[in-house]
Amino acid sequence: MMKKKLAKRPVKKTVKARKPAPKKKPVARPKPARFKIAPKPGVVKFTGVPMRVEKTDPAMVIEWPRTIVHHHTYGLLSPFFEGLKQGVLRATRCSGKDCDQGFWLPPRADCPDCHERMKWVELKNPVIGEIFTFTHVEYPGHGIEISYPYYQIDVRIPGAATTMKGYLVRGEARIGMKVKAAFRTRGSSNTILDLYWEPAE
Amino acid sequence: MIKFKTGNLRVPQFQRPVYVVAAGTTDYRKRYPEYKLEELTMMAFKMLLEENDLKLDPMEVKGLINMACYGEFADHFQDQLLCEAKIHDYLGLEPLPNIGVKTGGATGGYTTLAGASMIASGYANCVLVMGWERMDEVDTRTGNFYISTAACKDFETRLSRMYAAYYAPMARRFSHIFKVKEEIRAAIAVKNRLYACSSPFAQNPGKHTVEEVLNGKMICDPLRVLECCVMSVGSACMLLCDEETAYKLSDTPMRLQIAGGTHTLRVADRRNMEVPLLPNEKPGQYDWMEKEYHEPYPGFQSFLASRFAAYMAYRMAGIYEPMEDLDLVELHDAFTISDLQTYGDIGLRPYGKEEDYITSGDAYFGGRCPSNLSGGLLGTMHAVGATGIFQGAECLWQLQNKYDKFHGEEKMWKRFGKEKPKDWKSLQIPKRRRALWISHAGVGSHVTCGILENPEEVKG
Repeated sequence: MMKKKLAKRPVKKTVKARKPAPKKKPVARPKPARFKIAPKPGVVKFTGVPMRVEKTDPAMVIEWPRTIVHHHTYGLLSPFFEGLKQGVLRATRCSGKDCDQGFWLPPRADCPDCHERMKWVELKNPVIGEIFTFTHVEYPGHGIEISYPYYQIDVRIPGAATTMKGYLVRGEARIGMKVKAAFRTRGSSNTILDLYWEPAE
Repeated sequence: MIKFKTGNLRVPQFQRPVYVVAAGTTDYRKRYPEYKLEELTMMAFKMLLEENDLKLDPMEVKGLINMACYGEFADHFQDQLLCEAKIHDYLGLEPLPNIGVKTGGATGGYTTLAGASMIASGYANCVLVMGWERMDEVDTRTGNFYISTAACKDFETRLSRMYAAYYAPMARRFSHIFKVKEEIRAAIAVKNRLYACSSPFAQNPGKHTVEEVLNGKMICDPLRVLECCVMSVGSACMLLCDEETAYKLSDTPMRLQIAGGTHTLRVADRRNMEVPLLPNEKPGQYDWMEKEYHEPYPGFQSFLASRFAAYMAYRMAGIYEPMEDLDLVELHDAFTISDLQTYGDIGLRPYGKEEDYITSGDAYFGGRCPSNLSGGLLGTMHAVGATGIFQGAECLWQLQNKYDKFHGEEKMWKRFGKEKPKDWKSLQIPKRRRALWISHAGVGSHVTCGILENPEEVKG
């Protein structure tokens, strides 16, 4: 069917019409094809979902929903996230002779000072830190994956050059409180949420 | 420990003076369905060209522009990559060159810095500096999630998806070390929202009390709802020129000095260091921090990026004593705590004495060096890409003695569908030598310190 219809299209006649014989009357130009780019029956159809009109006053506003998946790599920090699933906290340390300022948590693969590749160190459980500061999160943003309200805490771990942000799963936070690292080894989220802290006093 | 080498501390030098001659803005709203983004930017652009008493016709002024610098915080919000091109076309500025700048909440400041560099280097004689943000395409919680992706996505974002949760620990630590009562932060919210009552551009004007702020809904303890800015839509712009063009266009151009600083995005990664001293500070002045509080600098209580930007900008502008040399400051009060912390960073008070800037009355209209007479981010706007430009615009109009023209005329209020309040009060500053504004990105990752100087009062 499709081929027959295509064969009947007046392409050749059109070409002839452009080059009429000198003594003959010009052949009447055929009507232009309705779809020049997409031949029949390739009529372009709307395949989407109509956008809902949310309002028309003071202007037309539509809803434009979307679902997107990102493919995010943990790169050279993969051992850190693998470690959480195994119940261990891994940090990095620079072995450069002028760079010994403790280990980095969050870890970094490359030293920001001497640019050497850092080495992994595994902290011995139980990892005990101290709450440096905290907040009680009562209004988190869209998509929060832990129940709220909860205490978000900043933890100083002896020997670390940095301060680790995390959350307290029970108890009431206060500055100076000792806390112990714990891990979501079963039902892991494969995110930083697999590390959490418990009171250690 | 961060250790500087000599090149790191070179004070920036413009190769020729840079001036700001005109500015424009929209009003700011949480939702603005009446206009598309490009239509809003045209509104601001027309105000810049038509309402700044320029000595040439608007189209003649436009004919002098040979570069544009655009600031936009997040493609997430606009949902339009290359939005700069779309705006540029809409303003009818193609095929002139333009660049887009993205440095979080400091986007406006860094866009201004980029424009100033264009003038100072001689690349351009007349630069349009414009910023915008359209934060109303998504609901507030989704907007908060978008903003929280400006924290470290691997180690911070999932912990709250809410930016207030990254400032709140700073507020707690600041209060813990310096023993600052919550009433001080609340007073900042009351002050800035009150000043917004005089602005036709303001999104959240209000006459609140300290008690009302403290009894407000808790967002992330200790920050309450009135201590946090909100989603905002709008656009602002400034026109930057070389000296010859500036005086061709205006009798009251203001000279611009501007410098930037940065710090780690993750507060977690902030390592200890010595305090970079401002011109009025002395070596050893901050030894007590370590001795008395075992609290090395900058900790969670100070913004090194703000200190670094002020360190450079004060030396560029020859400022020795900020409280004496400045007549107005516009600070980044996205949260009350970011405002309070900045007082020490830029030397309005020494570190540890920040609250005195509020309790002394110096920060208020009529005080020695008032802050955020524009209404700030809490009271007036935080359409993020526009913010650091809007603050500059307010500084310009103040130094030009045009606060009343832009804030007090009935037609300006009517333009935005508002009634001028019967008790409207002028906030025009009497002394008009220098004004400073701080443009600040998430947890102090990027900051600029801009200073406008009145050439009639301050020698170049």
